[in-house]
Amino acid sequence: MRIKLAVTDGKIYEPRDMSQPILEVKDLKMHFPVKEGIFLRNNKFNKAVDGVSLSIQPGETLGLVGESGCGKSTLGRCITRLYQPTSGSVKFEGQDITTLGGRALLPYRQNIQMIFQDPMESLNSRHTVGDILEEPFIIHKMGNRTYRQKRIRELLEIVGLPARSVTRYPFEFSGGQRQRIGIARSIALNPRLIVCDEPVSALDVSIQSQILNLLVDLQKEFNLSYLFIAHDLAVVKHISDRISIMYLGKIVESGNGEEVYQASRHPYTQSLISAIPAPDPHRELNRQIITGDVPSPINPPSGCAFHPRCPMVIDQCKHDAPVLEIISEGHIAACHRKDETR
Amino acid sequence: MTNPLLSIRHLATEFDTDEGRVRAVDDLSFDVQAGETIGIVGESGCGKSVTALSIMRLLPQPMGQIVSGEVIFQDQDLTQLTLPEMGKIRGARIGMVFQEPMTALNPVHTIGRQLTEVLLLHEDISKAGAIKAGVEMLDKVGIPSPDVRMTEYPHQLSGGMRQRVVIAIALACKPALLIADEPTTALDVTIQAQILELIRQLQSDMGMAVIMITHDLGVIAETCEDVVVMYAGKMAEKGSVYDIFDRPKHPYTKGLLASIPTLDTPPKSRLSVIEGMVPGLLDLPAGCRFENRCPYRQDGCLSAPPPIEIVTDAHQVSCYRWQDI
Repeated sequence: MRIKLAVTDGKIYEPRDMSQPILEVKDLKMHFPVKEGIFLRNNKFNKAVDGVSLSIQPGETLGLVGESGCGKSTLGRCITRLYQPTSGSVKFEGQDITTLGGRALLPYRQNIQMIFQDPMESLNSRHTVGDILEEPFIIHKMGNRTYRQKRIRELLEIVGLPARSVTRYPFEFSGGQRQRIGIARSIALNPRLIVCDEPVSALDVSIQSQILNLLVDLQKEFNLSYLFIAHDLAVVKHISDRISIMYLGKIVESGNGEEVYQASRHPYTQSLISAIPAPDPHRELNRQIITGDVPSPINPPSGCAFHPRCPMVIDQCKHDAPVLEIISEGHIAACHRKDETR
Repeated sequence: MTNPLLSIRHLATEFDTDEGRVRAVDDLSFDVQAGETIGIVGESGCGKSVTALSIMRLLPQPMGQIVSGEVIFQDQDLTQLTLPEMGKIRGARIGMVFQEPMTALNPVHTIGRQLTEVLLLHEDISKAGAIKAGVEMLDKVGIPSPDVRMTEYPHQLSGGMRQRVVIAIALACKPALLIADEPTTALDVTIQAQILELIRQLQSDMGMAVIMITHDLGVIAETCEDVVVMYAGKMAEKGSVYDIFDRPKHPYTKGLLASIPTLDTPPKSRLSVIEGMVPGLLDLPAGCRFENRCPYRQDGCLSAPPPIEIVTDAHQVSCYRWQDI
């Protein structure tokens, strides 16, 4: 299935400086207050995202992997500014958008879109597909009715849905088709960056590959950048240029996909890779299974947050939090024993 | 060879829905030998969970009914038993683990109460004896300080720990068969690895058979000896795990295997896809159920459902064109 280039809205994009990252996140923190006790006083914070820096180049996919509760979705929501981060900065094409609000945020909302995990929850079940896809144009006051109807039909064609879908409701579609509607909505305004939050996790295997192919096609066609958030390392590696691994609110390792997979240096990344069941009955199981659960981000362990589960833990890990250090060009890891983990 | 532990013969299960009667499982047959692990794999709506519920006679009533076929477990046809008789088998000789441990456990009862309940029901054991056995069982599934955990409630445990408790309850009476319906789907990969390892280890300790129901071909490849691939309520193919992964004979199995990204596929390469989607159970095609998505389709596929063809003794496939695949 090849997709056709959408007729854009006649707006000419100014040429972009390719050397400048489309998104730059610096030391981002998102701490949620936790109310406790009979007076519901705030004396603790859930440090969902605790000092994350990353950047995404135009046309690039950055994969963000981690287990539930590691803060990857919260990070995505800070970037789309659904949340107001506690501290740190989010820059989009050089513009600081960390503290923008209301109207000032509108142009960025157009450029930074989001695809959610469960399209049944993210699509309004009482609106037709036509209404759902028209809404972004209305909010951003783009085009007249004829133009919008034309664009809606184009969008449906791009994501591979029949034109008659416009009068139908989300529940009339299967999970994969609903995700296509969600994707159509996210690309409606020709965004530059799409935050994909577990976009294929709820889908069946045979449908998952259809959606992944569609996302790759759209990226090539429209030079989109993706922040691709998922827990499935195989899926993330497939779609990403670079991968960052998160654990308990922090990035623990980051690098290009092949390098993170072949030559990971953080024990957590290594155990994540070894934990994935491979669809190959011949593969020998010599898995290092890490014990224990992900600790609570409200009361994270001292030192390196991974130390209670780490097979390579030494005394230093219990007191000193390791910082991200350069392993090789573009490959960073935060581990005191990164030189011994090869 | 001795009789299989469980033998399912031409099972058909139907559901009454608002739009009419649907056949969720149709003409399904397979055997489970004592001590082996068999996987049932398929996508949502293929009938894999309904198969498990049919074996356990836990179909939602009155909508779900077994309409024909036999489920022979230890030389007894489970479909013919009365419910009290079935109650003596469930939990005692067949254990079951569900996907969501939080819904499988009762939130208002302690772990200890839920764990001893099954022992007191099925075994001739005193209350103190049941508590002792319960603590041992929790220890066996790898729960730290089991005596403390006995007095706690499900919400006080993490997802992985809860699933361990569910496994402890399912295995408390040392059943001959464990049915695990997506036991790790709700868990993170590192926890999934722990739980799969636990099931494997308990299986070799206790010598039980396992039916592993999952949509994840990786889990199947890793844990099972035999595999049944289901599609839209019917068996598409069954065979040893090597038959299915190395020599698939059904276009659906082949398509499914080709469509999953692995860590070895080149980034952003085109994944092969199975076009279209599963037909609804209310309007199934007259012929092969995979016909509308099948790259090998020919005219004959549209008229009548394909018979089950024998590839080798252990390897069977329901496809007219299996020899071309």
